[in-house]
Amino acid sequence: MSDDILTTLKILIIGQSGVGKSSLLLRFTDDIFDPDNQAATIGVDFKVKTIDIDGNLVKLAVWDTAGQERFRTLTPSYYRGAQGAILVYDVSSRASFERLDPWLQELNTYATKSNIVKMLVGNKIDKDRTVTREEGLQFARRHSMLFIEASAKSKEGVMCAFEELVQKIIQTPGLWESDHRTGFSLQEHSETEAGASWCNC
Amino acid sequence: MEVLTDFVTDDYLREFEVKYNDEIANSNGKPNDETVFQYAWCLTRSRLLSDVKKGVMFLEQLLASCKTDQAHKRDYLYYLAVGYTRMKDFTVARKYIKSLLQLEPGNRQAQELEKAIKSEMETEALKGAAMAGGGLLAAGALVALGMALLKKK
Ligand SMILES: Nc1nc2c(ncn2[C@@H]2O[C@H](COP(=O)(O)OP(=O)(O)O)[C@@H](O)[C@H]2O)c(=O)[nH]1
Ligand SMILES: [Mg+2]
Repeated sequence: MSDDILTTLKILIIGQSGVGKSSLLLRFTDDIFDPDNQAATIGVDFKVKTIDIDGNLVKLAVWDTAGQERFRTLTPSYYRGAQGAILVYDVSSRASFERLDPWLQELNTYATKSNIVKMLVGNKIDKDRTVTREEGLQFARRHSMLFIEASAKSKEGVMCAFEELVQKIIQTPGLWESDHRTGFSLQEHSETEAGASWCNC
Repeated sequence: MEVLTDFVTDDYLREFEVKYNDEIANSNGKPNDETVFQYAWCLTRSRLLSDVKKGVMFLEQLLASCKTDQAHKRDYLYYLAVGYTRMKDFTVARKYIKSLLQLEPGNRQAQELEKAIKSEMETEALKGAAMAGGGLLAAGALVALGMALLKKK
């Protein structure tokens, strides 16, 4: 039960409106895709989900925002204390890919943890794409981000994205603190796994 | 539900309070709607009941003067429902979340909040029953409360 939770992490989902941030979150937490819900997110929404990473339970508080102007002034508190950020674009929308820079700038400005783990997600791969995988990969490399293509609709890549992000956070020294146990360490495990692609999807 | 247990930090609340007061001082007592909204939003997320009450009052004023803009209306309705739930005034909270669901029947966030309000209501009712009854009755109700809370986990 809660005693076994290794740590609680704050993860953000950012990116232009309509790229599928809320859909990715819903797929991750509830494993559903709701095509009827066309409503834009109200203010800031967040969901909590516990996932198992190599036998350790990690509790994730995932924050999702609409990015409307009137909530923009609250941006600094949104970023405060986050250990991971997922920047989303839509592979079927060239415009959403071309507008990634301002989001990254905002992230770098407001993130309070300098070693925050960043991940780029190209969503909606079930649709006809206008952005190639290679382009996404290059952008991610240039900015030292993890990269995954996904579809909230078909579910492809979604679990993987979150798991890989959490795995990377856990492997980053000083980025997180244990909730309960002291002196507990993942060191041994992360060394054997270092660099290996462990996520089989 | 998470939106019901997310609290604003003090420095943040102060920042928007200052902005609000500055505008009152510098614009003949008529602050910008957006400033009022941002301040109200912070207030409804405060740990102090008096702040939540004040935030809800601001939101009701904004809602009353908001005739056309549906995008703004949904924000007001949603955070009014959150505020009243925190104040444990469930009847009013439900009234607001129902209005929002009338505007946007498929809105998942609103549906989830409605569910959360119902569940808060049940918890409070059980607690109330436990307080009201004496002796054995209270013990029984407490067990029921414990079980209900366990089931929610
Ligand atoms: N085909 C397809 N549509 C998607 C996918 N993800 C989201 N959508 C749709 O894109 C629209 C915007 O999604 P939403 O999650 O609200 O985007 P947000 O504004 O970034 O939160 C909605 O109509 C979704 O149904 C996907 O993977 N594939
Ligand atoms: Mg959204």
